[in-house]
Amino acid sequence: MDAENVIDVRGLGKSFGRFRALDDLDLRVAAGEVHGFLGPNGAGKSTTIRVLLGLLRADSGSVTVLGGDPWKDVVALHRRLAYVPGDVSLWPGMTGGEAIDLLGALRGGLNEERRAELIERFELDPTKRGRQYSKGNRQKVAIVAALASDAELLVLDEPTSGLDPLMEAVFTDVVADAKARGTSVLLSSHILAEVETLADRLSIIRDGTIVETGTLTELRSQARTSIRATLERIPERSALAALHDVHLDHGHLAATVDADRIGEVMTHLAPYGISALTVEPPSLKSLFLRLYESEEAPQ
Amino acid sequence: MSGSLTGTRPLLRVTLRHEMRSFAPWIAIAVGLSVSSVLAYPWIFPDETDRAGLAATMGANPAIGMVFGPAFDLMTDEGFNSWRSLALAGFLIALGAILTVSRTTRGQEDSGQAELLASGVMGRASRLLAGTGVALIGSLLAGVVAGVATVLCGGAWEPSLLLAATFTGSGWMFAGVAAVTAQLGSDARAASSLAVAVLGALYVLRGVAYAIEAPSWTIWANPLGWMTETRPASGDHWWPLLPALGLTIVALVAAFAIQARRDFGQGIIAPRPGPARGRIRTTWRLALRLNRAPLIAWAIAFGALGLVFGYFATSVQDVLANDSAVAAILASGAATPDELTSAFLVTILSIIGIVAAIPGVQTMQKLRGEELADRVEPILAGSVPRQRLFASSAVIAFLAPALYVFGGGAIVAFLAGGADIGVSFGDVTAQAAATVPAVWTITAVSVAVIGARPRLSIAAWAGVLLSFVLTLLGPTFKLWDWALAISPFWHVPNVTEADRDWSGLGWISLVTALLLVVGFAGFRRRDIAA
Repeated sequence: MDAENVIDVRGLGKSFGRFRALDDLDLRVAAGEVHGFLGPNGAGKSTTIRVLLGLLRADSGSVTVLGGDPWKDVVALHRRLAYVPGDVSLWPGMTGGEAIDLLGALRGGLNEERRAELIERFELDPTKRGRQYSKGNRQKVAIVAALASDAELLVLDEPTSGLDPLMEAVFTDVVADAKARGTSVLLSSHILAEVETLADRLSIIRDGTIVETGTLTELRSQARTSIRATLERIPERSALAALHDVHLDHGHLAATVDADRIGEVMTHLAPYGISALTVEPPSLKSLFLRLYESEEAPQ
Repeated sequence: MSGSLTGTRPLLRVTLRHEMRSFAPWIAIAVGLSVSSVLAYPWIFPDETDRAGLAATMGANPAIGMVFGPAFDLMTDEGFNSWRSLALAGFLIALGAILTVSRTTRGQEDSGQAELLASGVMGRASRLLAGTGVALIGSLLAGVVAGVATVLCGGAWEPSLLLAATFTGSGWMFAGVAAVTAQLGSDARAASSLAVAVLGALYVLRGVAYAIEAPSWTIWANPLGWMTETRPASGDHWWPLLPALGLTIVALVAAFAIQARRDFGQGIIAPRPGPARGRIRTTWRLALRLNRAPLIAWAIAFGALGLVFGYFATSVQDVLANDSAVAAILASGAATPDELTSAFLVTILSIIGIVAAIPGVQTMQKLRGEELADRVEPILAGSVPRQRLFASSAVIAFLAPALYVFGGGAIVAFLAGGADIGVSFGDVTAQAAATVPAVWTITAVSVAVIGARPRLSIAAWAGVLLSFVLTLLGPTFKLWDWALAISPFWHVPNVTEADRDWSGLGWISLVTALLLVVGFAGFRRRDIAA
């Protein structure tokens, strides 16, 4: 077991009746890093997080959080972590301020200074009752409650759903501050842009299994460069061998290519007379979308 | 006006299809009560002597008459049916109507479903009309099915149909009441509690009014009294159904008038800003806070119940003496007045006990409700052992009913002890204490269900239902002892008897402990709903 990892999941499986929600899932989050946990809706992000929180019992595999077993060592572990659910439900008759203090107290205390600062930064009115808050404001209550603690690990499940763009920016700053304090973060999302700015490393989940994991640079190097060219003559098949996703319409060619083979492709295409050429750098988005499409086998 | 009702018809059709499923059990119980009476009575009490004996037993324990209403005539099948079903089935249909109206109007507003509907081509009054429409149609159906089924099973035409018509009447009146309270409460729960409180109060008042032979205006002032005064099989008066129809119409008109002014999702009372800082820092305080409103409401209810029952107890010997059949029992020396009085008090406290278990079960159901609303998840994400969270609710579910039985019992004891009826304050308080373990057994059923098999959360009510049926109805049906012994209240000894046996309480407490173990172990091991 690697002592550096705050989350260490190996071969995790979880079924609900016949439905297999998680299947042989591996996930490792190193101490001090912000780890993006990406995947389409229903891929198993929330199920994984609930197992990490000891709310669901793993059927198989080993799960270690902060060096402990999340099912058995609930009380000790939860003193050291804080959680923001994706769908925040507040007590209808309790004010936001009361909810923040309750959740903080159950975790073992809040940092008062930071509580005040966060309420200020998120422009939250803590005197409103749970049933009066909008979705975004309920989300803010949960974020303030979690980030005002001195937790070592933040588990954030789609935390910005419902926040407006200004508040999203505040959220990004606040998580960056937490990281600077040495907090580890597991940040789940289905939106790439949200994770891109914050995450050191990413894991992409699909159908209950991790299909890709690595740093942004590592993932980016796996993504292919896209090429669009207008050729004067129709090229031979052999000239297109190094290309992927080829669309050839008369002289218009659209395709993708692995970054290390661009030169080779140019050499092959040059004899057919290139009259126009666009080469787009690898975008994470294209990789991401490719991994989301479940018909396509992962690489 | 037509504009405000646009879209009612399709909405009513959809609502009917969805809501009839939840209304069906109420109909089934009402039909079952009525049909089983005419089927079982000739079998269990075949001849005149048996029936006269039953009448005497009923007369000897006015506490049972208070729950079921007066027995005008137990000599015919239909007379027995109207005694056993009129009050009870009417109450249940009314309860079904209240829950349906609250759920389809305010419940949908709370959950946001109504917002989707209201943004469509939908008149302002359509949702209320559809909601009350379902309750009205459901109540009507209950009456028609119960009436026809009873006649088919051998009941005489007129009394059976009249009895069934009172089911519909009760349902209609309280659909109207619930439509009004749905405009007043700040959310669905407040709205339905208000209507149920009205129903409960009128029910108890009617029972007592008949039991102590109060002046007749107390019966005519009570809408439920109109239902009893139709007297199926002992007079067959149809006309008291007319004021019931009138009340339904008046209540509905009032509800629609308020609805036209009310803001969406709001009651009459506007919410105020609350404290910016919280003082609830433990799961114990949280559980108390979440159950605060119903606990206070029940405390008031048990205060009132204690007063009513206590006042009744002071006049119990007069009531007994006025009953000719009971007078014959007393004259023959088969029982002394003191024995009958203490048997009466045991039943009174059992009734208080069964009712006191309801807030206990509700507390456990509330925990499940919180879990389904995703509010248990953030709590357990804190440094909180599951057992502590579960125990916070379980402790309230045990303590609150015990306090209610003691509180209600103490008021009865105070009033009964002050009157010259041969029982002391201490006797009644001791009897209340002896009742508490039985209440705990029922509550423990709900702890076990919510802890181990929350999907069957309706089964949490099994203990309350079984105890009610077996303790109050069982003896009159000459059920075998082993069947009666399923109800924990059967094991409560009469503390004034010399040869009282406490071992029964030991056994049921063992069952309680077992159920608790099942509940706690189950909650520790199971997945939390997401």
